[in-house]
Amino acid sequence: MTTPTLGGILRRGALAGVAAGVVASVVAFAVVEPVIARALAVEEARSAGTPAEEPLVGRAMQVAGGMVAAVAVAVCLALVLAVVFATVRHRLPARTDFGRAVLLAFLGFVSFSLVPALKYPANPPAVGDPDTVGARTAQYLSLIAAGVAIAWLAVLVRQVLVERGWSAPLAVTGGVLAGVAGYLALMLIWPGGTVEIPADVPARLIWDFRVASLAELTAMWATMGAVLGLLLTPRTGGPAARADGSTSATGL
Amino acid sequence: MPPTVSTGADVVAPIRVPLIAWLLAVVALGVVYLLLQENGLVTTGQIAAYLHEFTHDGRHALGVPCH
Ligand SMILES: [Zn+2]
Repeated sequence: MTTPTLGGILRRGALAGVAAGVVASVVAFAVVEPVIARALAVEEARSAGTPAEEPLVGRAMQVAGGMVAAVAVAVCLALVLAVVFATVRHRLPARTDFGRAVLLAFLGFVSFSLVPALKYPANPPAVGDPDTVGARTAQYLSLIAAGVAIAWLAVLVRQVLVERGWSAPLAVTGGVLAGVAGYLALMLIWPGGTVEIPADVPARLIWDFRVASLAELTAMWATMGAVLGLLLTPRTGGPAARADGSTSATGL
Repeated sequence: MPPTVSTGADVVAPIRVPLIAWLLAVVALGVVYLLLQENGLVTTGQIAAYLHEFTHDGRHALGVPCH
């Protein structure tokens, strides 16, 4: 088994981040933006009659900004994923770097995106109270921090069980159960959301937005894990590929 | 890789990760915070307002609390 270097992991992480960002921004444009447009129509109807003030950033720029933000966020998260990957690689229960990368990205998705999305679901621009944004941000960020701790705990539980002589499937099952129990506890302990949905925002619109938002986040993490894993996979096969594989094994 | 070489469980060598790599990760998380969470804590005035509006679709789409 070849051990990739830290530099090689970081470089592949950056590439995986670009790929994840591009995929996420395509999903943002194709799936999320149409729902945001519906939400903005609600906002517009709300302020009908009052003279519209000149927006600081135009709509086209905001759509572009959403896509730029998706790429920048994906690249940054992928760099974090790469550093964490290098640190915990030897603790992850998979036989290949592809499996380890996908598993770690899955844990990142659950901690950073899925659990926060279930506890504090995304809302379109027409929803929200500026007075509570500070409290909501604190709840959201602390939930993510706790979610990362739970993921770490699940990995450790599996490792301890292996060291105690449990068979591999049983140890993995123990880790998964510890993780699920931990996440369920988080969902129950953390304070409930404070967002009230205004009466003029249709439930269908809220639902569509939450599904679209989760689709973008899922696409981002899935691409990140799969691309990092593929880039870490040594190429074997023909003689040319073999030569390439040996350089990546030693040179990176 | 040939299955005969890899014996499976726990033969993976740890990779040394220096502090500088973790600093990089912290900076990357800081950028994510600035892009998605920043509601006037770090930046202020026009820059904050512009950054907020430019990334507004993005932060809502990525499920971050806003307004
Ligand atoms: Zn906002």
